[in-house]
Amino acid sequence: MNNLVAFLTKNFHWLLFLVLEIVSGVLLFHYNSYQGSVWVSSANSVTGKVGEWRSGVEQFFGLQRRAQELTVRNLELEAEHFQLRRRLLEAQADTAVTDSMMQQMTAQLQLIPSLVVGSTLNRPDNLLTINSGSADGVAPDMGVVCGTGLVGVVYMTSAHYAVVMPLLNFHSRVSCGIRGSGYFGYLTWEGKDPTVAYMEDIPRHAKFEEGDYVETSGYSNIFPQGITVGRIIGISNSADGLSYRLKVRLQVDFGCLREVYVIADNTFPERRELLMAARDSMELAR
Amino acid sequence: MTVDFLRRLAVFVALCLAQVLVFNRIQLFHCATPLLFVYFTIIIPRGYPRWATLLWSFFMGLFVDMFANTPGVAAASMTLAGLLQPYLLELFLPRDAEENIKASAASLGGWRFFALAAIIVVVFCLVFFALEAFSFFNVIYWLQCAGGSALVTLMLVMTLETIRK
Repeated sequence: MNNLVAFLTKNFHWLLFLVLEIVSGVLLFHYNSYQGSVWVSSANSVTGKVGEWRSGVEQFFGLQRRAQELTVRNLELEAEHFQLRRRLLEAQADTAVTDSMMQQMTAQLQLIPSLVVGSTLNRPDNLLTINSGSADGVAPDMGVVCGTGLVGVVYMTSAHYAVVMPLLNFHSRVSCGIRGSGYFGYLTWEGKDPTVAYMEDIPRHAKFEEGDYVETSGYSNIFPQGITVGRIIGISNSADGLSYRLKVRLQVDFGCLREVYVIADNTFPERRELLMAARDSMELAR
Repeated sequence: MTVDFLRRLAVFVALCLAQVLVFNRIQLFHCATPLLFVYFTIIIPRGYPRWATLLWSFFMGLFVDMFANTPGVAAASMTLAGLLQPYLLELFLPRDAEENIKASAASLGGWRFFALAAIIVVVFCLVFFALEAFSFFNVIYWLQCAGGSALVTLMLVMTLETIRK
């Protein structure tokens, strides 16, 4: 204690100097606005930094409780996620998603939009009339699709109208395959039920199940691959027992068909001509 | 209330008034102001209590501040000058200096006194203008002000010294 007192008395003027400078400083910063503002802004940055450190330390001490809270929340979210995933999978089997897939596919093709102005459903050789003709670029043997799936093939055209042979026609034969596997066959219509068609010539070793989608196989000169036709709802043997005969529920509702698109793809005519030329030359060679 | 104290007080008042009434109005070349009041600190004799030196300097600065409306600027600079003055005086003492030698040109010798005054005045001016501007954005201007003021102040101090004999 004595030493402290001695120290203080010896260096009293330093202490006094400090005090007087502090007083001057206070006067300087308080009564001069520029110096005061500089002081305030720099003081704020210093206090801000100190506050940051303090809250960092406080946070550190609360970490364990925070971790527990997060674990509980994590479990809740995982359960919710699982439920939502399940519901999404169920919803994906809905037509809403196949519609959007169709939209994506048709976006890549050159399409001529058209309206159905006449149709029949109850005859063995049903025909549709659409209001696009040769003036709009429609030609015979062009494929016709709608938002939900495959409709048919253009049969005859005039200047402003065209007649389409839909799937619901005894003469219709569309090459289709099962989505996912490469197996393909021919789709025909038996009459009576406008929502059902039959797919022939599926090999017996093919792997598929009920509910699988049927789409165009791409092995045709009319339709590109991937256009939805329908879903498999029944499996039976063919007449000769060598292959399967699938009962297909058609995706397109021909009862309320209104807006269709004619596929005006440029590659198909060339392929058709080449195939016909090949067949003709084989006929001549025989 | 010793005579010495009263005498010192008289000098204090005279210098203060001179600064406030006369020298604060002078500004040479838009930067140099004579800051004669620092003379008060320079002439504090050797052996004077350090705390007393500090207090005198502080109050001189404070009063000038009050009249010049720059609170704290001169007070802080003067306190610093008051701190340095005893140490510098020790430095510039002649070999056979007495205990309570006066800090004047007569007792120290012209050049020693000039050196002492110069150092104190220059340091004082630098600090004074630094605090006044409170920024170093314009270093040239600061140096101009400090240098100019120091020069003018030194001239006045030396003039006073010659009269003081």
